[in-house]
Amino acid sequence: MKRPSVPVTRQRARHLARALLAPAALGFAVSALAAATPPASSEQRLEQRVEDLAEQLDALKAELARLQAERALAPPASVAAAPAAAPVAAGTSAAGFEKLSLWGYGEAYLTHPTHVSGESQADLARAVFGIGYQFDDRTSFNSEYEIEHAVASSGDVGEMEVEQFFLDHQLTPWGSVRAGLFLMPFGLLNEHHEPTNFYGVQRNFVETLILPSTWREGGFEFNAHGVSGLSVSLGLTTGMNLAGWDYAPEFPPYRNALELENNGAAPLQASHQELSLANAQHPSGHLAINYTGLPGLKVGGALFSGNAVEVPSAPNAPPTGTMRVTLWEGHARWQMSGVDLSAVYAHGAIGNTAGSNLANPGSPNPIPSAFYGYYLQAAYADGLNLGRYRLAPFVRYEYYNLGSSYAGAAPAIPAGSVPLSATPGDYGLWPKGQDRVWTLGANFYVTPNVVLKLDYQTFDVNRDFTRFDLGLGLAF
Amino acid sequence: MRAAPWLLAPVAALSMPAYATSYLTIEEAQRIMFPGTTLTPAALTLTEAQAREIERRAGVPVPGRTLHLWRAPDGAAFIVDEVIGKHEAIGYALGINADGRVRQVEILDYREAYGWEVRNEKWRRQFIGKGAADPVLLDRDIRNLSGATLSSRHVTEGVRRLIATYAVAVK
Repeated sequence: MKRPSVPVTRQRARHLARALLAPAALGFAVSALAAATPPASSEQRLEQRVEDLAEQLDALKAELARLQAERALAPPASVAAAPAAAPVAAGTSAAGFEKLSLWGYGEAYLTHPTHVSGESQADLARAVFGIGYQFDDRTSFNSEYEIEHAVASSGDVGEMEVEQFFLDHQLTPWGSVRAGLFLMPFGLLNEHHEPTNFYGVQRNFVETLILPSTWREGGFEFNAHGVSGLSVSLGLTTGMNLAGWDYAPEFPPYRNALELENNGAAPLQASHQELSLANAQHPSGHLAINYTGLPGLKVGGALFSGNAVEVPSAPNAPPTGTMRVTLWEGHARWQMSGVDLSAVYAHGAIGNTAGSNLANPGSPNPIPSAFYGYYLQAAYADGLNLGRYRLAPFVRYEYYNLGSSYAGAAPAIPAGSVPLSATPGDYGLWPKGQDRVWTLGANFYVTPNVVLKLDYQTFDVNRDFTRFDLGLGLAF
Repeated sequence: MRAAPWLLAPVAALSMPAYATSYLTIEEAQRIMFPGTTLTPAALTLTEAQAREIERRAGVPVPGRTLHLWRAPDGAAFIVDEVIGKHEAIGYALGINADGRVRQVEILDYREAYGWEVRNEKWRRQFIGKGAADPVLLDRDIRNLSGATLSSRHVTEGVRRLIATYAVAVK
């Protein structure tokens, strides 16, 4: 809401004067025409009118001069008053917009694998803009649009995505229904994934690989909460699709930690559908329970279960059978006196994988029947208060295993160096699907909504994944 | 913060419409905070200088100049205000004692499916007794509501602003 500058208001005053003068001039012209053929009896009346008009003109000139002087000499006080007047003016002039809300967030980072510096990458990982609309007191709409990796085109890896698109309708003060494409209420990060809300440059591995993030499904959800701090979400949504599972990757699906997160190699990353022409033959259900009754505490858990779209059976082979995906997690977060502790455990299972794994012998990438991970994180949210800035150091230990058990066939990982890409001479080890990761770093809050991040991550198994990251995040 | 600036406009011209998710009326909140006391409405418009001083003390912008204020005979005050939760407004009332310390905070209404946690009584109780000398900062002397960070931060900022408002313009 920028206030018009003085020259513009001066112009406005001129317009006003012109508008006032025009009818007067017209009136004068009409009178003059009438005067051209004067009946002798009306001569005096005409003279009188001309005089009147002249007087009016003088008055208008004076008024114009006064207006111009006023604008030109507008004291600074009226400029200072502008911000006070602005919200009121905006509120009355933008009546339709008060139901609309706009927000956004995004993050850019530099990641530097310390052992393989040639794989350093800088990326505008995501730029997200949200639009909401309040239809009435009970009905609201929320949506988010995301561009990943800065450029989305047929020749780039970037993606343009609708990340959320849903309606909430309040039924009672304690209960509401949600419909559309929405975030799944799993773990600590998925529903609160803005970069200002998590520690570390990249999202943690457990809530990226075991619980996919940003995980959303299309469907319905009933949400209820009580003043005691207990809340429940119960939903029916689209589910996983294993029909396109890649049993025969030509190259390792990822070669460093950043690719591990980005390339969709984890079981549910590879099979969630994001409501993009999603196969909807099997509905999935979920239940999430959270308790936030004590200030600073959040404990909860969630369960998701549903049949996935099966891997097509090989010719002359028996049908694959029902492949049920079950995912559950438990989480806790305790924030007190500046200390911020959190823990998440997540476990996934896929049923009836033996048949299709056996039908693809020697695969380096069979479908796991179980995968899990957990992390423990401690941060000092009130760490260092540098005047208006805040530095929050943190440490996180996590373990992830993308395939803790297999039915039918275990992964046949090629030993030794393998080609990592079609580029000649590009060789390396096929990565292992489990690791123990320590992350040490700090979030530096320029404002509560603008954060600079720094961290160092060590990998116990895939040692070459060890990296140093620098990030910038914001949300508004 | 995640809101268009014009959403703050209702604060300037606050009429407390009866939202579907209205938990307390102004009268009910007054009875809870000041039982048996007659409160007198006292319209108050902040001057520019007062608004700037409040901003300086509280460290947050003053979105409107009109204060929805009721006075108790002993100098205590009851103020109705709004803050943005995640995207939409949360209406709340603050009771403040004559010594400038918070008597009570009550949530009147909100329109979002998020942030309902701020109604939690244990969370709101943290504000009682806070005065101009206290930081009233989330994660410092006010514990966060995990999962409702924005709503709890904005209500905390609102209370901090009203504590400063009382000291600057009401007392």
